[in-house]
Amino acid sequence: MTKKILIVDDDVEIRSYLSELLGDNGYETVTASDGSEAVDIAKAEKPDLITLDLEMPNEWGPRFYRKISQDEALKRTPVVVISGLNAIKYAIPKAVASLTKPFEPEQLLKIVKENIG
Amino acid sequence: MDFRKLLLVDDEEGVRRFLGLSLMDLGYEVKTASNGREALAVFEEFQPNIVFTDIKMPVMDGIELLRIIKEKSPDTEVVMITGHGDLDLAIESLKFDASDFITKPINNDVLEVSLERARERFTMKCALREHTENLERLVEEKTSRIVELERQNAACQVVNGLSSALESASREVETGSGLFNELPCLVSIHNRYLEIVAHNTLFEERLGNHVGDNSFDIYSDRTSPGNACPVQRTFQTGKGQRSRETFLGKDGEEIPVTVYTAPIPNKDGEIELVLDISVDMSEVTRLKDELFATRYKYQRLFDEAPCYITVQDADLAIVEANRLFKRDFGEVEGHFCFEAYKHRSEPCEGCLVDKTLLDGEARQRETVVTTLSGERKHMLVQSAPLHDASGRVIQAMELSTDITEIRRLQDHLTSLGIMLGSMSHGVKGMLTSLDGGIYRLESGLKKGDAERVDAATKTLKAMIGRVKKMVLDILYYAKSRELETEAVDAAAFLRETAAVGAAKAASAGVEFVEDVPEGLGEIKADTAALSAALVNFLENGVDACEGRGADGGGRLSLSARREGDNLVVTIADNGMGMDRETREKIFTLFFSSKGKRGTGIGLFISNQTIEQHGGAIAVDSAPHKGTTFTITLPRGPAR
Repeated sequence: MTKKILIVDDDVEIRSYLSELLGDNGYETVTASDGSEAVDIAKAEKPDLITLDLEMPNEWGPRFYRKISQDEALKRTPVVVISGLNAIKYAIPKAVASLTKPFEPEQLLKIVKENIG
Repeated sequence: MDFRKLLLVDDEEGVRRFLGLSLMDLGYEVKTASNGREALAVFEEFQPNIVFTDIKMPVMDGIELLRIIKEKSPDTEVVMITGHGDLDLAIESLKFDASDFITKPINNDVLEVSLERARERFTMKCALREHTENLERLVEEKTSRIVELERQNAACQVVNGLSSALESASREVETGSGLFNELPCLVSIHNRYLEIVAHNTLFEERLGNHVGDNSFDIYSDRTSPGNACPVQRTFQTGKGQRSRETFLGKDGEEIPVTVYTAPIPNKDGEIELVLDISVDMSEVTRLKDELFATRYKYQRLFDEAPCYITVQDADLAIVEANRLFKRDFGEVEGHFCFEAYKHRSEPCEGCLVDKTLLDGEARQRETVVTTLSGERKHMLVQSAPLHDASGRVIQAMELSTDITEIRRLQDHLTSLGIMLGSMSHGVKGMLTSLDGGIYRLESGLKKGDAERVDAATKTLKAMIGRVKKMVLDILYYAKSRELETEAVDAAAFLRETAAVGAAKAASAGVEFVEDVPEGLGEIKADTAALSAALVNFLENGVDACEGRGADGGGRLSLSARREGDNLVVTIADNGMGMDRETREKIFTLFFSSKGKRGTGIGLFISNQTIEQHGGAIAVDSAPHKGTTFTITLPRGPAR
């Protein structure tokens, strides 16, 4: 069964990039451009993994994470942080991995594979 | 002394007449009065030797009169006249020193006896007074003679003492031993023939051996006894002399000296020798010069120091201020530091000088002050204690260094630091997008997916454009360049600039309206810089309309008109607009409302460029209504 990944990033270029990169490697992707939109999509789509940008308008990454970690259905979903901010691993300590932009696509694919196969 | 004037006082006219006549018969000059007060008036004028007065009288009675007369003139004899039953009063009057009393009716014999007694008493009193006065004079005379003798005696002893001291001193000089040789002065002894009989070692060292020479030989400007030297004057006047002279040194050099001489009398008080003590003034003159030079040097240091210096007393009043301080803060001496320097009416919180005056420790801190010309300066202020000879802190020095420029550079560096920090984030996003563009281009080519290749190319172009703009912005900020102005046709220039904006607008699906009439005249401008600044506003307008989407009715306009000497350019959009907070901050460095896509440099530089051209920018904006920038430019740039 195809695994579904939710991509949360406010930059449209990066959303396209991640969608195509992950799509080309056999994953199904859905996208959201900010934290509040992402909560609704996550609840509807029940993704197997979420890639999360930190700095976004309206609702930023950490708040989105707090919301899904209170949701029974979503709280065990692995989250991979992808951000240009420094020291991002402290922003969401429970994230399975943190990648700093610009990231190596192989490394992202490896992390995703390790977590959801 | 005459005993002839008599004052008769009685309230009964009959008594006055009868007694008066009797007394005149006895050879007295008589005046009368009818009561005590009248009697006093007559007394003052008449100055009688004897007063006959009744006791019981109206207005002022005889006893009162007696008392007053005795007070004024104790020598005047007062005889009381009493009636029957006045005996007690008569006796009481004796207490006030009445001479006698006679009783009415008055018997001529008794009167005569009484007058005789009074006269005797008066005469005796006069004699006694004279005697006493003589005695006093005598005693005074004797005393002063004794004092004079004592004084002479004492003076003689002093002279003897001095003479023996001087003699032993001169012996010391002669024998070349003792204290005089240690004295840092030129000491010499001269005899009455104006010959030098001895001098000390220093004298010989400086002037050579002069024993046996004439006293005036040692001076550079006295060659004969006619030109009285201090020693000669001392012999002539018998008094010590003090004068400025010039000695002739051993090697012919002139030695400025102050000469002190003292006569040395022999036992008979005649001047036998004169002691000459001369102080070499060349050293003193040199020290004076040195002191003056040092003072001058320190005053110059104080005045020329490239910082602000004041000396303040315990009340924080400025005692002294250096030139720079006075130039920038006025004539402040005598004013309080907090008044003159900080324009306050009370001492500053945590005043450094105050603390230094208390504990004598030097301190420093930073502060901002305003000069007379209204310039704000960042100062590094240091305080240091000034001690008196006993080590007590009496004043404090305050030294301020202008660090405005350092602060400005620091701010600039801080800004650069913040810029790099804020930008690194944006750069990372862009690099990621570039990675994405390349991935999609490659994968699209591999799969033959034309659509993907197309999208990737677009992304790459946009990203490269953004990176280029950011790099240029940074370079522009890092190097604040001078304007290179040229006179150009305003309409042509604005149309060229508008064309760049039109292209951006077209690619974003925003309608662009250009309204630039002919005949705007020339404008003096750095076309590259001004064009970049205007394009920045146009790009912002396009970005502001982006939220409306490709067919959202976004509209951007550039219009221009002449207003007197000014060229007014209006750039308006109907985009998202700005709230007040954003509006106020848009020209601030590193402020961006575009999140990761903005560097926060663009409008800052645009504003700077417009200001460099002597222009001004007005912003009118409201959320969801759009924004209008009105840029007013003068015909030529201000700088």
